[in-house]
Amino acid sequence: MKTPVPPSYARRMLKWFIADSIYHEVEGDLQELFEDRLEAEGVRRARWQYTKDALFSIRNFKLRRIRNNFNHLVMYKNYLKIAFRNLLKHKGYSFINIFGLALGMASCLLILLFVNNEFDFDGFHKKKANLYRLDEVQTFGSVSSQKVALSMYPMGPNLVTDYPEITNFTRYWTMGKTLARKEDKQYYIDNISRVDTSFFEMFDFKLVDGIKSDLFNEPSDLVLSQSTARMIFGDENPVGKTLRMTGNDIQVTVTGVFEDVPDHSHLQFDALISTKFWDDENRRNGWGSNYLNTYLELSNNVDVEALEAKFDDFLVRHMGDEVLDYYELFLQPLPDVHLGSMDITHDYNNHKKFARSSVNIFLMLAFFVLLIASINFMNLSTARAATRGREIGVRKSIGAIKEQITGQFLAESILFTFIALLFAVGLCFLALQPLNNIIDRELSMSLYLVPLNLIVILATTMLIGLLSGVYPALVMSGFNPVLALKGSGLSGSKSIFRNVLVIFQYAIAIAIIIGTILATRQLDYMQNLDLGFEKDLVVTMDMYGDTNEKYDVLRSELMNQSNILDVTATTQKLGNNLHQTSMTYDGDTARINGSSSFVVVDVNFMDFYEMDILEGRGLSKDYAEDNNGRSFVVNQTLAKEIASTVNGDVVGTPFHFGGTDTLGTIVGVVKDFNYNKLSLRVEPLFMSRQPWGWSEVNVKLKSGDLQAGLRDIEQVWTTLFPQRPFEYQFLDDHIGEMYQSEQQLTKVISILSVLAIIIASLGLFGLASFTVRQRLKEMGIRKVLGATVSQIVMILSKKFTLLVLIAFAIAAPLTYYLMDEWMAGYAYSVGIGLGIFLIVGIGSWLIALITVSAQSFRVAKSNPVETLRIE
Amino acid sequence: MRGTYLGELEELVLLSVAALVDSAYAVAVRAEIEGRANRKVNISAIHASLYRLEDKGFLDSHMGEATNKRGGKSKRIFTVTTYGYKTLKEAQTVRQSFWGSIPQLSAQK
Repeated sequence: MKTPVPPSYARRMLKWFIADSIYHEVEGDLQELFEDRLEAEGVRRARWQYTKDALFSIRNFKLRRIRNNFNHLVMYKNYLKIAFRNLLKHKGYSFINIFGLALGMASCLLILLFVNNEFDFDGFHKKKANLYRLDEVQTFGSVSSQKVALSMYPMGPNLVTDYPEITNFTRYWTMGKTLARKEDKQYYIDNISRVDTSFFEMFDFKLVDGIKSDLFNEPSDLVLSQSTARMIFGDENPVGKTLRMTGNDIQVTVTGVFEDVPDHSHLQFDALISTKFWDDENRRNGWGSNYLNTYLELSNNVDVEALEAKFDDFLVRHMGDEVLDYYELFLQPLPDVHLGSMDITHDYNNHKKFARSSVNIFLMLAFFVLLIASINFMNLSTARAATRGREIGVRKSIGAIKEQITGQFLAESILFTFIALLFAVGLCFLALQPLNNIIDRELSMSLYLVPLNLIVILATTMLIGLLSGVYPALVMSGFNPVLALKGSGLSGSKSIFRNVLVIFQYAIAIAIIIGTILATRQLDYMQNLDLGFEKDLVVTMDMYGDTNEKYDVLRSELMNQSNILDVTATTQKLGNNLHQTSMTYDGDTARINGSSSFVVVDVNFMDFYEMDILEGRGLSKDYAEDNNGRSFVVNQTLAKEIASTVNGDVVGTPFHFGGTDTLGTIVGVVKDFNYNKLSLRVEPLFMSRQPWGWSEVNVKLKSGDLQAGLRDIEQVWTTLFPQRPFEYQFLDDHIGEMYQSEQQLTKVISILSVLAIIIASLGLFGLASFTVRQRLKEMGIRKVLGATVSQIVMILSKKFTLLVLIAFAIAAPLTYYLMDEWMAGYAYSVGIGLGIFLIVGIGSWLIALITVSAQSFRVAKSNPVETLRIE
Repeated sequence: MRGTYLGELEELVLLSVAALVDSAYAVAVRAEIEGRANRKVNISAIHASLYRLEDKGFLDSHMGEATNKRGGKSKRIFTVTTYGYKTLKEAQTVRQSFWGSIPQLSAQK
C-alpha cells in the first residue's frame, strides 16, 4: 500500500512562501506533525491539518528573508552609483547622448502639441458630432466645378422644414468691418456677423452676460465680445445700452456679452446680430445667390450620405429642374472644417485653415526625428557600454547572472531617457514662444499635464528607454567574463548592426533635407513668379457706402500727391478666388449662355497693374462705352472658349453678363494673370466697369519713400472722411498671406530638418570618437612605422564616408519619387533639379567628414608613445 | 526593558526550550506547551516565535539529526543563551516582587 503523503499543493505553497534557508527544517516539522496525526487522527484529518499549517505559515513569509533583501538594496545602489559615475566620467559623450535624445523628444513633444491643437479645432462645441456645414459644388459652363463654402439665404430654414432629421440651422453672414457710434465717439467693430437666433444653442461660445434664449428677440439686438464691449463701454455694464451703426444707420441694443472667441475656432467674430433685420420677402426667396455660410444640426444617428442624396430633390423642388446642372449640395462635419477644407474655395470664414496633409507630414517628421534621436541614443549607449567590459567581467565573476546584467543596462538606459525627458521639457519651454510666433498659434504646455497625455508621454519615454537599451544590454550580458576581464571588447562583426543604424539615420536625415529644400524652392518660385500683373508698391484701402460717394474726389485728390503714381478701384481684391457670374454672348449661330469669373474694375485698372493686352485694347476713360459699362475685357482662357464658337475675332463679339438682352462688346483680350493661388489653374474671367460702387481703392506709390506716400494718402483720407479711421494693406502682403499655411509648414519643416541633421551628426560624432579610441593602439603603431597625419585621418574617415554614401544612395531615389508626386499637385512647379541632390549629398558627406575628422585628427596628432603605453 | 520585552507566547516558548534541554525543536516545543499549559498553538506561530527569539539573541540554534518521520529533513535544535536565561530570571523576579506585595488575604480568597 502506498504510504499517505501530505498534499503536494500545500507543500508547493509552503516552498513558495518560506525562505529557502529555513524551508527544509520548517517542512520537516510539518511532515513530522503530519506523521503524528496520521497515527492519531487518520489520513484525512492529517492532510487537512497539514494544509492548515502550511496556510498559516504564510505569515512567516518574511522570516529569514531580510538579509537577502538587504543585499539586493546594496546592489541596486551600486548600479545607480556606477551609472552616474559613468555619466560623469564621459561628460562629453553623456551630454551628446542625452542632449541628442532631448532634442528629438522636444521637437516631437512640440509637434504633438501643434497637431493636437489642429485636431482640437472647434472641439469645444458639445454638439460637434451633430453639426455640419452646408457646402455647394458649383459647375458653371467651362469653369471647372468647384467646391464652395457658400450657400443661399433660404436654404437653412427650408431644409429644417423639409427634413425632420435636420433639427436646427443657423446662417453665418458676415457684415465685415462696421463703424459703431456711442454718443459722440466712433469705434470700428472689425467683424460683425449676422446669425440666426439658434446660434448660441448650436455652438458653445460662452456667454458672460445676457440670457441665451433672449439674445436676439428684436431685429436690432446685438451681442458683443468681451473685449469689444470693454473697448466701447469701458467698465460700464453694456447690456441694455444702445449703439448707432453707421452705414446701415441702425440703432442697436446690446443684449449680451460673450467670452472672446478662442483661437481654435474656425468662426471668428467680435459681434453678432440677428438676420431678422435683413429678413424680407426678397431674401426669403433669394434662391440663386450665395453669400453666406449655413450650419445644420442633425439629430442623432442620421445617415449623412442618405440625407445628402435627398438634397438633389430639395434643389429641384425649390429651384427647378435645371439647377442640378449648376449646383450640388454636400455636408461637411464641423470637426472637418478646419483641416478638410483645402479644396473648398470662397471659404472666407475659416480661421487659420490648415491642410490635413500638412499635419500628417508634421506627424511623420516628428516620428522620424524621434527615431533618429533614439537610434543615436542606442548607438552611443552600445558604444559606451563596450568600454565597460571589465565592469561586466567583475560582476559576472562574483556571481551576476545574465539577466541581472541585462536588467542593469536596461534600467540605466531608462534612467537616461527620463533625464533626457526632463531636458526635453526644458527645451520645449524655451522654444514654445518662438514656435508660436512662427506658426501663429497659441499653444500651451498645460496640455502635457492632462493625465492621459502624461501617461502616454511617460510610457513612450519608458518604451524608448527599453527599446534603445535592449540591444546594448543583450550584447553586454553576453560577454564572456574571461575575455571581458582581459580587456578585449566587442568583436568586429557586432558593429554591423550599428553601421546599419547609422546608414538608416543618415538616409532619413538626407531625405528630410532634400524634401525641405525642394518644398522651400517651390514656394519661393510661386511667390516670385510673374503673376501677370504688378503687385509691388500697391496700397489697398477698403471702401464703404459713405466713402464711395466721394470716390471721384478721393481719386483726383490722391492723384495730386507727388508720391502717388496712380489710383484705381475694384470690387474684388486680387489674390483671391474671384466671384462667378453668368454670361451671355453671341456665337456664330446662336446666343450662348455660360458662366465665368467676373470682376468690376475702374477703367484704368489694366494700365495700373501693367497687364499685357494681347488683342484689341484695355478699358480706357477715353471711351464713353467703357465708362458706361458696355465694354468688356476677357482673359485668354475665356477668349479661347469664345473663339471656339465664333468665327473670326473674339474682339468685337457682342457680350454681357447674364440677365440682359442688350449686349455690350468685347473690346480686348488680356493675357492670363494669376489672381489666385498658383497651385490653381487660371479660370475664365472678364472685366468691365459698372456703377456699383467699389469695395476697395488701390493706390500705387512711387518707389523710394513709402512712408511719405502713406502719409499723403492718410492726409487725403482723413480730410475727406473724418469719420473713418485710415486703414490700409499692401497688396503683396495680402498675396503672401495666401501662402501662409505653406510658409508656416516649410518654416517648421526647415527647423526640423536642421534638427535631424544635427542629431544625426551628434550621433556620428559620438560613434566616431569611440571607434577612434578603440583603434588608438593601431594608429600608434602606424605612426611609429611612418604614417603621416593625413594618412591616418583618411584611414579613420574612410568607413564613415562609405556609410554616408550608402545612406545617400538609399535616400536619393526615394525622395525623388516622393517629391515628384508632390510637385505634380502644382500647376506651376519648379521641377526637381539633380543639382540639389548633389549638393545635399556632398553637404551631408562633408558634415560627416568634419565630424569624424575632428576626432581622428586628434588621434593622428597624438604622440604614439602615449597611445602605445596604454595597456 | 525595551528590546528585552517578552511576549506571552514568547515567554512560554523560551521556557519550553529551557525545559527541553538540548532536544528543543519546533514540534517538541509545541508539544511541551500543549502538555504543560494546555494550549493548542499552530506550528507556524511556534516557528515565528523561535526565529524571532533567536534574532533577539535569547536563543541559539544548530542543526540536529534527521529522521525518517521527517522525510529525511534535519531538525533545528534551539538552546537558551545566557542572555536568554538572564531575561527569564528577570521576568521571574519582577513577578515575584509583585506577588510579594499582594496581601495574603486577597490572595486566599
